[in-house]
Amino acid sequence: MIRITLLLLLLFSQALLAQQIQIVDKQNQPVKNAVVWLKGSQQLTLPDTHYTMSQQERAFVPHVLVVPKGANVEFPNLDSIMHHVYSFSKTKQFELKLYHDKPEQPINFAQTGVVELGCNIHDWMLGYIVVVDGTVFGQTDKQGIVNLPLPEGPHILAVWHDRFNDISSPETIEISTSNSQFSYKLKQTLLPKLELNNDEFDDYE
Amino acid sequence: MNNWQALALVSVLGLPALAFAEHDGLVTVTAVRGDQLLSYQREGIGLYRYDQEHDALVISQAMLSSRFELSRDWSAHTVLNAHPDPELTVGFSQAYLQYQPLTASRYKWAVKAGGFYPKMSLENPQSGWISPYNYTNSAINTWIGEEVRAFGLEASIKRPGRQFRSNHSFEGFASVFKGNDPAGTLLSWRGFAMHDRQTTFNEQIDFAIPYSFEWAQLDKQADYVEPFEEVDGRFGYYLGMHWDYQKRSQFRVYYYDNNGDPGALNTRTGQYAWDTRFLSAAWLYKFNQQTRIIVQMLDGKTAMGKYRGIDNDFYSHFVLLSHKLDQHRLTIRYDYFKVSDHDDWQFDPNQSRGEALTASWRYQLSNKWQVGAEYSVLSSDAQNRPGMGFNEHNSQQQFQLSAGWQF
Repeated sequence: MIRITLLLLLLFSQALLAQQIQIVDKQNQPVKNAVVWLKGSQQLTLPDTHYTMSQQERAFVPHVLVVPKGANVEFPNLDSIMHHVYSFSKTKQFELKLYHDKPEQPINFAQTGVVELGCNIHDWMLGYIVVVDGTVFGQTDKQGIVNLPLPEGPHILAVWHDRFNDISSPETIEISTSNSQFSYKLKQTLLPKLELNNDEFDDYE
Repeated sequence: MNNWQALALVSVLGLPALAFAEHDGLVTVTAVRGDQLLSYQREGIGLYRYDQEHDALVISQAMLSSRFELSRDWSAHTVLNAHPDPELTVGFSQAYLQYQPLTASRYKWAVKAGGFYPKMSLENPQSGWISPYNYTNSAINTWIGEEVRAFGLEASIKRPGRQFRSNHSFEGFASVFKGNDPAGTLLSWRGFAMHDRQTTFNEQIDFAIPYSFEWAQLDKQADYVEPFEEVDGRFGYYLGMHWDYQKRSQFRVYYYDNNGDPGALNTRTGQYAWDTRFLSAAWLYKFNQQTRIIVQMLDGKTAMGKYRGIDNDFYSHFVLLSHKLDQHRLTIRYDYFKVSDHDDWQFDPNQSRGEALTASWRYQLSNKWQVGAEYSVLSSDAQNRPGMGFNEHNSQQQFQLSAGWQF
């Protein structure tokens, strides 16, 4: 009996922690790939120490990577051709001169903010690393939904999307955990989506 | 061993020791069923690279493309080609230094110095200016590969869409160059041709000797062209603009003028400077991931002789459709070309015209291996052929089976 009670308590407490957040645009359409994080959160789980921003088929994969402040990120090149990855963003400036496979050292991201990645050879390549101050973060799925394990109490969440007009300014969501489901409508209109139809014959452009 | 071959060896063997180098290359072996008309390469009037007398297994491409990282912003690029036809030669088709600084500016600029192609072709996007579509290039890009190369400087500035969060990218090119004075020679006396034989630096190209070479006005002209020679000491130039929409639609327009002094002649090599200028416009559109269309148009003029005794206009266009199905690529292309004669040297008719249809199938067996087949038919007229004892009109066809190994 005690065991069952403990199990129920455990299940109950976990249910409380999981907060479902949906992000929608001004037309109430779900927004996928939005980054949502708890501002100034304490470490609840051990951060995944292996963060990877690959270059695959002349694109950054993932297009947007979220990491906690202080994370080390590897930049493996999965293509047969060379890449020359760089960032001139205030958050982190670096350059990985032409390389195959994997650069020897990962890059450390010590400051919060957004890092815009480019490649000096394939100048259509575009990727982002969002460095957040905490370990409670996630990205919305096709339904615009992300599940975050939030502790009790009112919180301030931040939401960011690469189609924001000013990518250095996330929007802020004030939230109480009284509802396990919460929907947030973005204040700004998203920029049109950048599309690419590149293929192997665009390598030598 | 001439100077270029020595430089080739130094570049391939020596430079890697000094700098980080990356190489890729291609060797293609082709079984050809050629046409009965002797190829221009053997002073015939055939417009293909091969002919019936040379039906055999041939190495149609042997190419090594290298990139050497000299410093953070400087790199050296070479493309070395070996050709067994018309005789075994090894040489560079491209060799240049590139300065491409990584800057925080949203505009990206670069400078090239050396010998290189103006990037006007959308048909030849692969390393070494190779086409992934047909084995036989269009009439336009056959001629570019034969007679057009810039030896000088090219500056480019790009407005990449990603930097401006736009789906549109733009790039502008400006070049001043020396050499390339005899460009136009082949168009005038042979007309357009169709093949994948790129001319390497310092090479000469043969063609059927027209009867008009017997006349005093042309007796200083050699029986071949050295298309990249500097004859008149003047600079030529070209300007180009690329417009790219999502990589789905790619448009390129170039204006080229070698600024040749048509009165200038190198009596030692028998090469005239030809006053050659043209406009090239090319467009590629991807209907979807499988199917694309490429069209290109070339329109220009060329003249030679102190009083422009030869004064011709040339024009060509092609339409290419290519469809990729799994590892298969099917391509069909229609070419039209003509040269019209506007001078009063009646003894030297330069008028020619033609059409061609080329269909190719290529199958990617693995990362390294590709096999394919191509059939091409070509119908052409040239007014100087009867003077050489040939029909003015000829139809040709060529079939080839190819196996390529790339690394």
